[in-house]
Amino acid sequence: MTRMTKFGAGLLAGAAMWMAAGVASAQTQGGTLVIAWPAIQEPASLDGHIDPYQSTWMFNSLVADPLVILAPDGTYKPALATSWTSTPDGREWVFKLRSGVKFQDGTAFDAAAVKYNFDRVLDPKTASAQMRSDVGPIKSVEVVDALTVKLVYDTPWVTLLDGVRRMPIWSPTAAEKHGLANFGRNLVGAGPFLFAEWVQNDRIVFKRWADYGGWNSIQTHQGPAYLDQVTIRFIGEAAVLGSVVKTGNAQVTFGLPARFVDEYKGKPNFQFVAKDQSGTGLQHVMNIRIPPLSDIRVRRAILHAADMKAANELLYDGVYAPSEGPLNNNHPCFWEGNPKVYPNDLNKARALLEEAGWKAPAAGQGQIRVARGVAGVADGTPLKVRYATLHHKELGEALQSQLRRVGIDLVVEQVPGPVQLDRVRRRDFDLMFERQRSPDPLILDQIWNSKWDQPGGWAWTGFKNDTLDATVDKLRSIPDPKARCEVAKEAQKIIMENALMLPTLSDPVFFAMTPKVKGLQVGAEGNWFFLNNAWLER
Amino acid sequence: MPASSASMTRYILGRILQLVPVLWLISTIIFVVMHMLPGDPAELMLAGAEGGAITPERLAELKREMGLDDPLLVQYMRFLANAAIGDLGSSVRFRLPVSELIADRFGSTLALSLCGLAISVAVGVPLGMIAAMRQNSAADAFTMALSYVGASMPVYWLGLLLILFFSFNLGWFPPAGADDWRSLVLPSTTIGLVAAGLIARLVRSSMIEVLREDYIRTGHAKGLSAATVLWRHGLKNAMIPVITMIGLQFGGMLAGAVVTETVFSRPGVGRLVVNAILAKDYPLVQGCVIFLAFVYLAVNLVVDIAYAWLDPRIRYGR
Repeated sequence: MTRMTKFGAGLLAGAAMWMAAGVASAQTQGGTLVIAWPAIQEPASLDGHIDPYQSTWMFNSLVADPLVILAPDGTYKPALATSWTSTPDGREWVFKLRSGVKFQDGTAFDAAAVKYNFDRVLDPKTASAQMRSDVGPIKSVEVVDALTVKLVYDTPWVTLLDGVRRMPIWSPTAAEKHGLANFGRNLVGAGPFLFAEWVQNDRIVFKRWADYGGWNSIQTHQGPAYLDQVTIRFIGEAAVLGSVVKTGNAQVTFGLPARFVDEYKGKPNFQFVAKDQSGTGLQHVMNIRIPPLSDIRVRRAILHAADMKAANELLYDGVYAPSEGPLNNNHPCFWEGNPKVYPNDLNKARALLEEAGWKAPAAGQGQIRVARGVAGVADGTPLKVRYATLHHKELGEALQSQLRRVGIDLVVEQVPGPVQLDRVRRRDFDLMFERQRSPDPLILDQIWNSKWDQPGGWAWTGFKNDTLDATVDKLRSIPDPKARCEVAKEAQKIIMENALMLPTLSDPVFFAMTPKVKGLQVGAEGNWFFLNNAWLER
Repeated sequence: MPASSASMTRYILGRILQLVPVLWLISTIIFVVMHMLPGDPAELMLAGAEGGAITPERLAELKREMGLDDPLLVQYMRFLANAAIGDLGSSVRFRLPVSELIADRFGSTLALSLCGLAISVAVGVPLGMIAAMRQNSAADAFTMALSYVGASMPVYWLGLLLILFFSFNLGWFPPAGADDWRSLVLPSTTIGLVAAGLIARLVRSSMIEVLREDYIRTGHAKGLSAATVLWRHGLKNAMIPVITMIGLQFGGMLAGAVVTETVFSRPGVGRLVVNAILAKDYPLVQGCVIFLAFVYLAVNLVVDIAYAWLDPRIRYGR
C-alpha cells in the first residue's frame, strides 16, 4: 500500500467511525423484540452441550458467549477468547482468554471454567449428541495459566473452530448446582441476555443482562445490549408464521416459509433478508450398487436432463439459492467448474440412455424407455428411478416432468426421517435426499469417503475410489483454510465426473422484519444471527 | 336404599377392574407398533441435526445408554413392570421423566378442553332446544344447517378462519401462544363450535322424543306452564343421552387436541405426543398414549357412573 492510499484508507476509516458514532446516537435502549420461530425447530433441551440442534446453539449464543464467533464475513473472530493458535499438524490448540469477564452468576471466567466446559462435553454422562463429535477426540484439556487453555489431540483436529464457535461456555458453578437434568432450564453464561423462562411449545424469554461487558467482538458499543427483552415465539402453523410480522404480533420472523416471501420481499413496509447456509444444498445421492444407476451413462443422463434454474423459477419465483455441485454455491469451497460438467442438454441425455440400452418405447407405448440388453435387467423393464426426499417434494415433481422428456420415470416419494435411514441401512434406494450443513468442507469426507460406508455412516452411494478417499481424507489433517478448499475442489471434480449425486437447489433462511428492527446481524450462515447491536426504533 | 347403594358400588368397582385389561392391551399395542416402525431412535437422535458423521462405537454407546441393546422381550417386561407402578420412564430426547413432561403440559390441554366443552354446551344445548321446540320451522332448518356446518367443519380450517378474522383483521386475540385468557378464546371456540354442532343435533332429536312422551302431555293437561313442562320435565330427561355425548366429546378433546394445539401454537399433551412420534422417543410416546388412554377411559367411567346414577336400569345390568 502506498503512503497516499494508506492516508486515504485512514480518512475513510475515520469517516466510517464517525458515521457509526452518528448512528449510535440514534440507538435507543429498551423494548421487547418478538421473534417468531418455526415450532418444528424448537429444541428438546436448551443445553447445547447435550442437544444436537442448530436452534439450541443459536439460543445459547444469546445467553453465553462462545470462545470464538463465525462473523458475518465468514471469518472467525474473538469472543471470550482473544486469540488462538494451533500447531501446524493440528494436534494442539491454545486459546488465550479475555480477562475481567464474569458469568451472570458472578463466577469468574478463566481457564479452569473453559476446561470445565470441555470436560463436561466430553463426559460420557453428558451424552452429548453432537458437540462431542464437533470438538473431536480431545486427549486432554490443560490449564496453562489463569487465562490460557491448551487442547491436545492424538490425531489432527483441524475443524475445531467450527465446533467451538457454537459451543456455549457455561458458568461451572451454575452447571454444577443444577446438574445435567435441570441446567437446560437454568442457563447461566457470560452473554448479553439472561435466560428468563422457557414455556415449552410456546416461548422462550431472555432479558437484558445489565452487567454485560460487550465481550463479543461483534458488538460495536461498550456495555450491555440495547434490547430489554427478547421473546422467541414458536409458531406451529405456517400460515400464521407467514403473517405475524405483517399483523404486528412479532417484529421478526425467522425461517419465513418460502410461499410468503412475495409478501415481504421488496415491500417498503418490511425488511427482508435471504441468507443461504453453506453445505451440500438439497442434494440427492445416487445408489450405484443397483441398476439403473449402476450405469454411469444413466446417471449422467439425469444430470443433463435436470434443469434446476427452471425449477427454481417455477416453484419458488427464483428465491431459492443455486446449488450446482457436491457443495452448494454459497460454500466457501464451491468448485466453479461444477456447473460446466453437465450442461442442460436433452439430446445428450437421450443419446446416453440409448447407448446404455434404455431404448425409446414403440409408438403408442408412452414415453418411458424400456430395457433392451441392460445387464441385470429383464428386457422390456421400464426405466424407473426412485426419488425419496424428506421435504421439498415439489422439487422432485418438477424434476419428474423434466426427466419424463428424456424417457425416465421418476417416482417421487416423501418419507419421514426414520424411513429414510431404514432404506439407507438396507441400501434400497436410487436417489436419496442427503443434506449436510457446514461451512467447513469436512462434510465431503463424511459423505464421500468409502470408509464411512457402514451402519450409522453417511457414505451412502456405494462408490469406492482410492483417489477420492485419499483426497477427502486430507480434509482431516490440513489446517490451512485455503489449502483445504483446494482439496475440496479436487474432490468435487471427481464426484461430478463420476455423476454420483444430483445437485438441486439450496433453501436459504428467510427473515421478515418490520422496519423498526435495527442492527440485527445475520451471520455468515443463514441459521445464525447476532442481537448484540440490535435495537428497536420507537 | 342400601341394596341400591351396594349395587352401585359393585358396578363402579367392576368398571374400574375392566380398565386394567384395556390399559394393558393399549400399552402392548403401542409398544409393538413403536418397535415395528422403521428407524433406530439412537441413530435418529444423532442424525437429528442432519449433520455429523456417527461412528459405530458412538451409536453402540448411545444405544446402551438408552437401554435399546436389550432383547425386545426384556424391554417390554421392564416397560410393563414400571408402568404398573406408575413409572412411565424417562424421555429419550428430553432426558426428563415422562410424568413430569406430561404434568407440565396437561394443564394447558385441560384448560383448552374445559373451555371448549363449556362453549359447546352453551351453544349446542340452546340451539338444539330451539330446533326441537320449533320443529320443522325455518328456525329449525336454520339451526340444524348451522349445526351441520359446525359438525362437519375441519378443526384445522375453522381455526385458521378464526385467526384470520379475529387476530389478523380485528386484532382482538393473539394468533398463537398460551399467555393468558385471551390466547385461550380462539382455540377453545374452535373445538367448542365443532362439538356444539353434534350436541345440538342430539339435543334436538332427544328433546323431540321426550316431548312426545305421555308424561309431557300429562303435564300440559294438568295445567303446568309450558316453561315448567319444558325445563323440569322435558330437558331433564332429554339430557340423559346428551350427557354421554358431552362426556365422549370431552374425552375426545383431551386426547385429540393436537390439531387445535398445532394451529394455535399452544403447548399441550397432543403436540408432545406428535413430536415424540416424529423423534421416535419410545418412552415418551408410550407414556403419553397410556396417559391419554387412561384419561379417556376415566372420563368415560365418570360418564357411565353419572348415567347409571341417572338411570337405575343401567347398573342392574339389564
